[in-house]
Amino acid sequence: MEGEKESVRMRVFRAGSCQQLFYRYQDLAPQLVPLDYTSCPDVKVPYELIGSMPELKDNPFRQRIAQVFSEDGDGHMTLDNFLDMFSVMSEMAPRDLKAYYAFKIYDFNNDDYICAWDLEQTVTKLTRGELSAEEVSLICEKVLDEADGDHDGRLSLEDFQNMILRAPDFLRFTDSVKFPPFFHL
Amino acid sequence: MLRAALPLLGLPLAGAGATEEPTQEQGSPGEPPPGLALFRWQWHEVEAPYLVALWILVASLAKIVFHLSRKVTSLVPESCLLILLGLALGGIVLAVAKKAEYQLEPGTFFLFLLPPIVLDSGYFMPSRLFFDNLGAILTYAVVGTLWNAFTTGAALWGLQQAGLVAPRVQAGLLDFLLFGSLISAVDPVAVLAVFEEVHVNETLFIIVFGESLLNDAVTVVLYKVCNSFVEMGSANVQATDYLKGVASLFVVSLGGAAVGLVFAFLLALTTRFTKRVRIIEPLLVFLLAYAAYLTAEMASLSAILAVTMCGLGCKKYVEANISHKSRTAVKYTMKTLASCAETVIFMLLGISAVDSSKWAWDSGLVLGTLFFILFFRALGVVLQTWVLNQFRLVPLDKIDQVVMSYGGLRGAVAFALVILLDRTKVPAKDYFVATTIVVVFFTVIVQGLTIKPLVKWLKVKRSEHHKPTLNQELHEHTFDHILAAVEDVVGHHGYHYWRDRWEQFDKKYLSQLLMRRSAYRIRDQIWDVYYRLNIRDAISFVDQGGHVLSSTGLTLPSMPSRNSVAETSVTNLLRESGSGACLDLQVIDTVRSGRDREDAAMHHLLCGGLYKPRRRYKASCSRHFISEDAQERQDKEVFQQNMKRRLESFKSTKHNICFTKSKPRPRKAGRKKKDGVANTEATNGKPRDLGFHDTAAVILTVESEEEEDSDSSETEKEDDEGIIFVARATSEVLQEGKISGSLEVCPSPRIIPPSPTCAEKELPWKSGQGDLAVYVSSETTKIVPVDMQTGWNQSISSLESLASPPCTQAPTMTRLPPRPRAPEEPQAPLKLPLSSDPHSCFAFPPSLAKAGRSRSESSADIPRQQELQPLMGHEDHTHLSPGTANSHWCIHFTKGGRL
Repeated sequence: MEGEKESVRMRVFRAGSCQQLFYRYQDLAPQLVPLDYTSCPDVKVPYELIGSMPELKDNPFRQRIAQVFSEDGDGHMTLDNFLDMFSVMSEMAPRDLKAYYAFKIYDFNNDDYICAWDLEQTVTKLTRGELSAEEVSLICEKVLDEADGDHDGRLSLEDFQNMILRAPDFLRFTDSVKFPPFFHL
Repeated sequence: MLRAALPLLGLPLAGAGATEEPTQEQGSPGEPPPGLALFRWQWHEVEAPYLVALWILVASLAKIVFHLSRKVTSLVPESCLLILLGLALGGIVLAVAKKAEYQLEPGTFFLFLLPPIVLDSGYFMPSRLFFDNLGAILTYAVVGTLWNAFTTGAALWGLQQAGLVAPRVQAGLLDFLLFGSLISAVDPVAVLAVFEEVHVNETLFIIVFGESLLNDAVTVVLYKVCNSFVEMGSANVQATDYLKGVASLFVVSLGGAAVGLVFAFLLALTTRFTKRVRIIEPLLVFLLAYAAYLTAEMASLSAILAVTMCGLGCKKYVEANISHKSRTAVKYTMKTLASCAETVIFMLLGISAVDSSKWAWDSGLVLGTLFFILFFRALGVVLQTWVLNQFRLVPLDKIDQVVMSYGGLRGAVAFALVILLDRTKVPAKDYFVATTIVVVFFTVIVQGLTIKPLVKWLKVKRSEHHKPTLNQELHEHTFDHILAAVEDVVGHHGYHYWRDRWEQFDKKYLSQLLMRRSAYRIRDQIWDVYYRLNIRDAISFVDQGGHVLSSTGLTLPSMPSRNSVAETSVTNLLRESGSGACLDLQVIDTVRSGRDREDAAMHHLLCGGLYKPRRRYKASCSRHFISEDAQERQDKEVFQQNMKRRLESFKSTKHNICFTKSKPRPRKAGRKKKDGVANTEATNGKPRDLGFHDTAAVILTVESEEEEDSDSSETEKEDDEGIIFVARATSEVLQEGKISGSLEVCPSPRIIPPSPTCAEKELPWKSGQGDLAVYVSSETTKIVPVDMQTGWNQSISSLESLASPPCTQAPTMTRLPPRPRAPEEPQAPLKLPLSSDPHSCFAFPPSLAKAGRSRSESSADIPRQQELQPLMGHEDHTHLSPGTANSHWCIHFTKGGRL
């Protein structure tokens, strides 16, 4: 997966959009991130800065995304993580890679399985807590039931990918709209 | 009186038969006889509406005829057939009347025929798909149309300069541009008519169709600008006029959209307050949409855009606000009107083409136009797609482009516009008319005919219908958020960002403002999908169960022995005496319960196959969320209405028993509970539980109706689904009746198996209350006393009266469809005396006090009725408000026992 990611990144950033992204990254925390990046690789933008962006404050998955893409799962992102995030989400990334990261995002407790608890988190976030606990658990039950190939009560990465394959429209939205144009700058 | 009526009956027949002329002639020489006339033609007073009705009738009959042969309609699009029919009819009219009649008038077309079609397409536009592809659609609609208009006009002008067009066609560059502007627009009616039958993939469809809708603004502007330029004369056109022309493009399109959105807002807001007057909900939808159209037309804005936006914008809120019945009504009326208008348009188009006085032929112009519109359309599509593909992740490939350029059908809009030209200002009008007719006919007939084989041959991705899985829905939402978040982090305000913003805004303000509170809550899509899935599961289980049942049925030869004489005779009697639906259920029930008792293994099989899922279903049926309001009643109405029909169709299907069995209990329990507690606790106690039971019913019924028009297999499926609920409702009573009946009529077969309880203990469904209910129902002997139907009726009505708030009560009762009752009630007196008590006690669910009493009764009964024990125990535990249902059971039993 790592190798694939690298190659994707190569493809995505070949045209110098890396620079663009770097400026963006630097913008997030001008006092933390030096403009000269040749010598100090060990800089992280804390999650507090990312998560407090006004655009993000309504997004239910902001923390999770930051966590998944940050190296040690605490949401603090290095430039590398930052670039990873965009390369994975870009249109160049193969579907499997996207699925892999989607899976990781769902996997709230990082046990490499999507269990009922993870799903409950997802559903709760998605519905902004408007469904009652029973409703949420019903839905989760159903979701598990739908996709659980090996009937172990949780979804493995394989289950997840199978499910995506079965639903041709899945990830369509990432297909129908190209990701920000600066990848082509 | 009779004498007067007879000719009147004959009249429409004569009219509808083949020609319009006979009616015309009958009418016209209606010189009034002097003195008092016994009989008088008043043709002129009814002429206009009569003709309209006749035309629609003819068109509809023609449609029926076309669809008699599946082969023809699968090869030839309906629009082609209708145009050909129109040609034939026009020929006949022309031959008989010596003048062309009944042509497509632009006024009629724009004011009456076009709006329903556009409204239909706007309202049912898949909005997500539309907005996902909005960029492409707008490009094709605006740039593409401009490109087509100018290139076609200029090329035709070049053709004329080159001398290939006969010199008698007096037209300058402006005239040709005008012509180009009207001929270049892809026509929504034609596109819809053809593409709906082709079933290309959704993206392709939405692009072509969206283009055809949105390019109206461009067409209208271009047409008007060119027309005024032509009228002013090219010499007088100033530079500012061109600027004004460009500006008017924005005014017309944005203005039209704005008008549409304003009316959408009004419509949504209005429907929020129709709780007490459900009946006008569909009317409101149509009225306000039509008002939007007329308003835009009045302000010479793009009316098509206005209606499209109105439909697109209001749908979400309107659908949430109006009752399910109204939803169905809106849907069907809209579809009917649209299809009607479409049919008439194509037919009139054919008829209009016959009128040779209107047009003048010029081969050069016609052929040139045909070539140019095809060529420039293709060129434009390729160029634009190339640009668009720079920004699209899934590029539109070559095949898509071919279909898109080939799918650029021209239609009635172009024809109506060309008819509207002023002959004094545009001397070449006749030539333009002829050319337009040819172009329209060519695109609709030739391209319409060939596009299907082409699509097949090119292996264009077809649309696939798959229902949304819950996972998909979930992940789609999640990914929307994730992508929006990523866009946020990177500081790019892209599509996802704005959609996210919009959704926030919608959720926070718009939905709050435009939806009623109860509806607002249910609007959660995930829950929606969950619902649908549950239903589907339930259906598949029914199917499954049916198979299990039939296969086991074969292995159980001893089954007939179970049917005592009395039983069969009763069922037969019942079956013959009408209301076959319930009886049939019953019959199947009998068979099954017999087997149940025969074979423990099969019992297990059935339980495995049927009950478990059922339990799951039941659990999911915690329909909390509609707080009770008038909707509930609506649902019940839908129910009752459908019930009869559904059950009758049920007769033929052998397998749904399990469903009917498994459902009744939970439902009943829920209802009862509601009855008991609803009014008192609705506000503070558990309001959600109350409402939800009905929600399920609602959604299901509606869905079934929604699906019905899609295709036949679907319909069947959905019918099953409808049955489910219906059966649930009925079988409440069914069971009551059953027990008492069985005890009365044939006590002997009522075997209590020596070891049912131990067997049951192993059964998985034993733990759940819903299953227990099921269990009971399966164990009961299946004789239906006729009176159960009256019982059912009473119970329904009583439930209604109890469940629904008194203020909304009156309208329901009046609106209650008489259909389900009418055939059943007469039977009631036949057997009523035996069990009049059960009715009363069922029909008027007792208060808590009574329930308590009956519970004690039930506990007394338990030892006697071993099989029922688990049910009672559980139900009593589970339902806080003691199941009056149970108590009834017990009461019946005791009575039956005594008898």
